[in-house]
Amino acid sequence: MLKEIFNLTLLQHTIRTATPIILAALGGLLTQHTGMLNIGMEGMILLGAFFGVLGSYFFGSSLMGVLLASLVGVIIGLIFAIFVVELKSDEFIVAIAINMFASGLTVFLLRSIFGVKGAFSSPDIVPLPRVNFSFLENVNFLDKIFNNHSIFVYISWILVALIYIYLYKTPQGIWLRASGEYPEALLTAGVSAKKMKYKSSIYCGVLCGFAGAHLSLGYLTLFSENMSANRGFIAVAAIIFGKANPIMTFIAALMFGFFDALGIRLQVVGVPSQFTQMIPYIATIVALFIVTNRQLQKHKKSKGERELA
Amino acid sequence: MREAMKKINLSYIISLALSIFVALIIGALIMLINGKSPFIGYSALFSGAFGSKYNLATTFAKTVPLVLTGLGTAISFRSGIFNIGGEGQLYLGAFAAAYIGITFTSLPFFIGIPLAIIFGALVGGLYAFLPGILKVKYKIDEVITTIMLNTVAVLFTSFLVNYPFATTQGKMNGTEIIAQSYHLRRLVKLSTLNTSIFFMSFIAIVIYYLMEKTSIGYDFKMVGQNRMFARYGGINDKKQMLIAMVISGALCGMAGVFEVLGVHYRFLQSISPGYAWDGMLASLMAKNNPVGVVLMAIFLGALKTGSVSMENATSIPSELVMVIQAIIVLFIAGEAGFKDKFVLLNIKRKSKKAGETNA
Repeated sequence: MLKEIFNLTLLQHTIRTATPIILAALGGLLTQHTGMLNIGMEGMILLGAFFGVLGSYFFGSSLMGVLLASLVGVIIGLIFAIFVVELKSDEFIVAIAINMFASGLTVFLLRSIFGVKGAFSSPDIVPLPRVNFSFLENVNFLDKIFNNHSIFVYISWILVALIYIYLYKTPQGIWLRASGEYPEALLTAGVSAKKMKYKSSIYCGVLCGFAGAHLSLGYLTLFSENMSANRGFIAVAAIIFGKANPIMTFIAALMFGFFDALGIRLQVVGVPSQFTQMIPYIATIVALFIVTNRQLQKHKKSKGERELA
Repeated sequence: MREAMKKINLSYIISLALSIFVALIIGALIMLINGKSPFIGYSALFSGAFGSKYNLATTFAKTVPLVLTGLGTAISFRSGIFNIGGEGQLYLGAFAAAYIGITFTSLPFFIGIPLAIIFGALVGGLYAFLPGILKVKYKIDEVITTIMLNTVAVLFTSFLVNYPFATTQGKMNGTEIIAQSYHLRRLVKLSTLNTSIFFMSFIAIVIYYLMEKTSIGYDFKMVGQNRMFARYGGINDKKQMLIAMVISGALCGMAGVFEVLGVHYRFLQSISPGYAWDGMLASLMAKNNPVGVVLMAIFLGALKTGSVSMENATSIPSELVMVIQAIIVLFIAGEAGFKDKFVLLNIKRKSKKAGETNA
């Protein structure tokens, strides 16, 4: 039975299921660095998934699907930033509104445009291209794990590196991080923290748009109601677990993808998948506990030392 | 509404009415784009919510879980601790009630029903205690933990009803039906309105007194408005927040209990279509005022009930109501900000004018 669960297919599934989480988490960690935690990623992914299908179906091109999904991401990211930065609204409440809006609007449009309930699939939806590296074909396990994935799988890996470089090696990235941590310092440098917050929120929207388009055009070729299925929240979990570092967040997302894939494999052999599905959520709480507990201990220690002195 | 926890005043009521009005206008525009008459749509919605005895009863049936989760949210928000985990507490409370109902089948109703309610409230309260203690003792953001715990509860109950407690009567992702003595009586033919509305009213009055007329309620408010000030005033702010969180969880748990005892007579895997989120919306709209929560819960219940009739009459998908609700939430989130901007704009204009006259 173990052989049936732990095999190459499991790793292949891990990569597939982790991708939307990676993409969204990369976006979310950018807003996290500017001091905004975006729970609205769940809704952004869902909108991306819907508009990806819409674009692909009507224009007969998956690229148009991705473009439309990103455009909607930009709009929602902009709305999020306007409310949080400009109107100083509570970020959680704005995010909850976005999630509510997304699940209402997508079902509404699903029914009024496509006239179906539940899910829409059609041969006219053009899926995203799959990528095959011929040099990997010779080695069986590399071929099985890394070949023949939808294009966003590879894009997400490239983005991890790019965003790492952007955040830690470019002035823009330093500004972006400073806008959350030291907005006053940024002001003295003549850079607007507001502007960086807007930027991060728009990037987050685009990346969640990618995540959604990958779900509905890469992972599957259809749209179904609430197909984001908590991936936005798991992305939040990955960000917290990875302390908003792109590489650590990537690893956390892969890990959560692994447990998701494991759950699916377990279900095949008749073991309840609910417990493996719970892992990201519980892991997040445990991670938060460990991180803050350590900080509290440190705080206490330094306080004690000061008192001794 | 973490920062701006102002009292309800006339200016807020005007903003709220305006938010609802604009959201309904946007809804009307969406109907127009879809080639439907908003007039017919909204009148179908209205008569669907209030038009007949059955419709009215359905509206009130929908109101029960919204009032309970709404008051639960209000009590926690007012104390400055943000319980977003109502949905999870509702699921566990509902399952707890179903567990009592299928285990102690020979209990008479006057023992069984209170037992189920108390047990459901207890389970909901305990589930809220966890993020509460993490917040006050370890300073872990309760918004994140409660959101995570929501999914954990939904998954856990899903496991329970698919494996150890799955009904043997076909595959329906639910428990067995609870014993007859636990069924709350239906009040209007065909509608799911049941005696839980009386329980709910009683609980709402108790919570109103607790929040508005007792010193505990006053302490909650103090802690929510200014923790430091409350602490200097001798209030144990951590304890108050924990108590508020547990009461909040208990109320959400009871919302689940009544769905089982009054509506479905069993626990179902997806027993709530997001009642706690709508309850939270009611609380946000009412700025955590208990009377306001009840009124807003009725409003939202009417929207939900009416949307089904609207769909039948005009084939406008009922999900339009969710879009309208989301827009209302957004406007309310931005309400204080809009006002500040407006005031600023006015000051600027006035000072500009003053400058002009001076010159």
